[in-house]
Amino acid sequence: MHNIKSFLFCALLVTAARAQVAPPPAASPYVGSEACATCHEDIAKAFATTPHHLADGKDKKRGFDGKACESCHGPGAKHAGSADAADIRNPAKLSAAAIDGICLTCHVNQPTHMGRLESSHAKDAVACTTCHKIHATAPEVLVVRKTEAINKQCEGCHLTVAAQFQKPFHHKLPEGAMNCVDCHNPHGSMKQAMTQSFGANEPGCLNCHGDKRGPFTFEHGPVRFEGCATCHAAHGSANPRMLDRPQVQQVCLECHANLPVNTTGHLGVVPPAFHDLRSPRYQNCTVCHQKIHGSYVDRNLLK
Amino acid sequence: MRILLAMVVALPLAAQTPPAAPPPATPAPATPAPVAPTPAVFAQTAAPAPAAPAADTKAEASPVPSPEPDISGWVDFGYRWRSGVNGSLETYRSVVNLGSGPKLFGADLTLLDPKKRFFDSMHIRASGWGGDPYGTFHLDASKSKLYRFDADYRDLSYFNNLPSYADPLLTRGIILDEQSFDTRRHIGSYTLDLLPGNWFVPYLAYDRDANSGNGVMAFTQNSNEYAVPTSMNDRTNLYRGGVHFELRRFHATIEEGGTTFSSGQSLYQSPGAVNPGNLNTPIFGQTLDLTSAAASYGITGSSAYTKALFSSNAFSWMDIYGQFLFSQPSSNVHYQENATGNLYLPSEIVFYQSEQYLVSAAAKLPHTTASLGAEIRPLKRVRMTESWLTDRMHDAGNSSSMQTIVPVGGAQQTALLLQSSLVSDYNQVETNLFFDVTSHLTLRGGYRYVWGDASDAVLPQGGELTGSEQAKLRRNVGLGGIVYRPIQKLLLTAETEVASSGGVYFNTSLYDYQKVRMQARYQATTSLSLALDFTYLNNENPTPGINYTFRSQQEAASIFWSPNSGKLITFQGSYSWSSIRSDIFYLVPETLTQATSDYSENAHTATALFNLNLGHWGVVAPKLTAGGSLFVSSGTRPTRYYQPMAKLWVPMSKHAQAFAEWWFYGYGEAFTPYEGFGTHLASIGMRYTR
Repeated sequence: MHNIKSFLFCALLVTAARAQVAPPPAASPYVGSEACATCHEDIAKAFATTPHHLADGKDKKRGFDGKACESCHGPGAKHAGSADAADIRNPAKLSAAAIDGICLTCHVNQPTHMGRLESSHAKDAVACTTCHKIHATAPEVLVVRKTEAINKQCEGCHLTVAAQFQKPFHHKLPEGAMNCVDCHNPHGSMKQAMTQSFGANEPGCLNCHGDKRGPFTFEHGPVRFEGCATCHAAHGSANPRMLDRPQVQQVCLECHANLPVNTTGHLGVVPPAFHDLRSPRYQNCTVCHQKIHGSYVDRNLLK
Repeated sequence: MRILLAMVVALPLAAQTPPAAPPPATPAPATPAPVAPTPAVFAQTAAPAPAAPAADTKAEASPVPSPEPDISGWVDFGYRWRSGVNGSLETYRSVVNLGSGPKLFGADLTLLDPKKRFFDSMHIRASGWGGDPYGTFHLDASKSKLYRFDADYRDLSYFNNLPSYADPLLTRGIILDEQSFDTRRHIGSYTLDLLPGNWFVPYLAYDRDANSGNGVMAFTQNSNEYAVPTSMNDRTNLYRGGVHFELRRFHATIEEGGTTFSSGQSLYQSPGAVNPGNLNTPIFGQTLDLTSAAASYGITGSSAYTKALFSSNAFSWMDIYGQFLFSQPSSNVHYQENATGNLYLPSEIVFYQSEQYLVSAAAKLPHTTASLGAEIRPLKRVRMTESWLTDRMHDAGNSSSMQTIVPVGGAQQTALLLQSSLVSDYNQVETNLFFDVTSHLTLRGGYRYVWGDASDAVLPQGGELTGSEQAKLRRNVGLGGIVYRPIQKLLLTAETEVASSGGVYFNTSLYDYQKVRMQARYQATTSLSLALDFTYLNNENPTPGINYTFRSQQEAASIFWSPNSGKLITFQGSYSWSSIRSDIFYLVPETLTQATSDYSENAHTATALFNLNLGHWGVVAPKLTAGGSLFVSSGTRPTRYYQPMAKLWVPMSKHAQAFAEWWFYGYGEAFTPYEGFGTHLASIGMRYTR
């Protein structure tokens, strides 16, 4: 017991001695947003209008309070001292993955992160800042919300898709009735082509085409298994109803090819012989099979 | 005692030089993202954000924003005239459908509450009101840390009546699309997020989709079809609510929702009229006709669903995420129809004069989806993503029907019970490896395996389009990609998929395919940017009897030119060439001879838009916008579609500008020239700006 007391006494003395000779506190590598605003006044003012400025006052959780600028640009003390651009991180000059890494420091826990790994944007190194202008000086904004602006932003890369909307039968994007984000989730989706969903896991097309949802008593398999794009060119088409083929019989016969499933391994059974394609009655299958998306009452989708 | 003494001595000593809190290497979360500030990353100074190098540069030199007033924005209103439609009015309405009258062309307003009582800011946008086919209204309001509210409403007109589309009577000189409709769809979406920015964010949302209108459909009666008027209305309501949990390293969302659905389509033909139908060939010397008909669908549906998502930055070198989704929509149907006329039942070889058909049916579709994935960063330059997805659904339906026909000699009844089943089990795993060769070059390689089983059955057997079938999906896909930024202003990307399948669901499904996409973006100068886009898909199904070949290719280029910061002129234009070629075998139903379904399309699409400042004409400085788009295709359905336009802006005062606008819409199709149209639209209006 005596030894223990002696040890503790010595330890306290040593601690006190070390405290007495402790070096002065190390200078923080951070200078805070106010220091940044001293030189970058215009950016600071514009930044203050964006949601990110909240990090300056209220982001104690991540330790960025008062350091919103440095949350992306890294510690700024050296740059503040030298005023040399080389002494501060400029995300605009980083790789897409590096930029995403900065953003995901905070936004990793956002719902928008969901599906990112399945997104072709992430795979093709399209960084967050490609679409989100962090400083958001007009006319750019942090999050584009206006229909025309969304479409214009997407068209900037997706030129071939934009061209499809100039075909006569198209979803009304150029007219401003819709935008790309109505159908696609730019942050990623578990569905193909990053399409949105309806409810939990139903196709996003049903957000507007609720009458095609069912469930139908008698389903048409391709609608469920491969979606609307099996028959429709969703962006636009030269064919009526945005179909993949100008004549409905072509659309149908390419699957209902009279080749039984046991010979091809594919779904789609044989149309009966009385379908005389030479007669105009049979040249548009949907005249009779009008419930082609699925029928509530008829197994042959006639009513 | 000595301990107490030591403490007394030590405490003041310690107090003399309070230990400074060691500054964190980075602000929490102490585990900066893997790409966070390391000297190596600082050294990667080559590449800008890929799509907007100039924009970022511009942001650095941003001007000082001016103080905003409480209300700012603009409103465009005026009047539009439409010339007579030269050609098919029905096609014009199916494609364009803009009309004459007073219009609210658009509005975009921002309201700021300086006292921040009920909201910090509110944005209101609207377009296309005054009888236009697509009216939109959007409102969002937010109060920091308290709420964010979004409301979106659209009033869309769906008109479709193309003379040649579904007209079995065309050869008899009767132009009647038997699949036409004139409906309006009202779509509303309302979302309220509470406590945004907190770790706990509840939200509520309501969506509504309602459709109503009229049209023409075929009333099918065994051996003949009769075009009759129809009225349509359906409504879908979606209610949902949930909570986001946003912690430092972990996010979770739990959402519960449900829908209600109702539809009441009806078809009718007034008694007395004689409808000869599409068949004009006598059967056993008798012609068929319909003298009255009434059919109505009473459909109700509902569903409940669950959504659970999580993502986590579990370690500094790994993110993981997962989701579980379950929905179970169901529907109930009561259908009834009555018809009179001279009708024929071929299976019984009997003519009958009236008919009643009653159906009660129900269907349920449990649907489960789950996924799990991770991004792993084992090395500084290497990233790996792994994902797994399963999607399973099982539609089960049953119907009970009773058909009563009344031929000469007495009524006959036929009852039928049917059960249907549509099952899908889809699975996918994917791995991608990313390697940053240099700060300018990233390579990606990966592999995806897709497998699934599907079945479609209606029991008891019978009928034409339904039976009992099973199919398997087995697909191996190789993935590759490259991102190259040789200089800061140039970005080149390419990606490819190469797949080989051992089984697919449908003849035209992706089978053995190669997909390529390449893009280039170049910021030549501060006033000139260029972009190129190329896509290619080749899909082949070599199964004997099918021999499906599908090739599509698109090439597009765009330019944006804004010399002298656009003070005099800006120009943006794009050109795209696309080609589609598809061939597939099938057996002609009536002869079982082999035929080929060919489809080809070669298309040119161009858009151009000039903005010209016309200088000062006296006290006004007008501006002109001119351009338009064209689409010209050849192949199976040669088509032309032109949309030239011009718009003149004349400032009237600090807050008002007058404008005059002209559009021309021209459409033509080679094989059905009677469907072409040409129409001029002229508008005048005012923009009030604040």
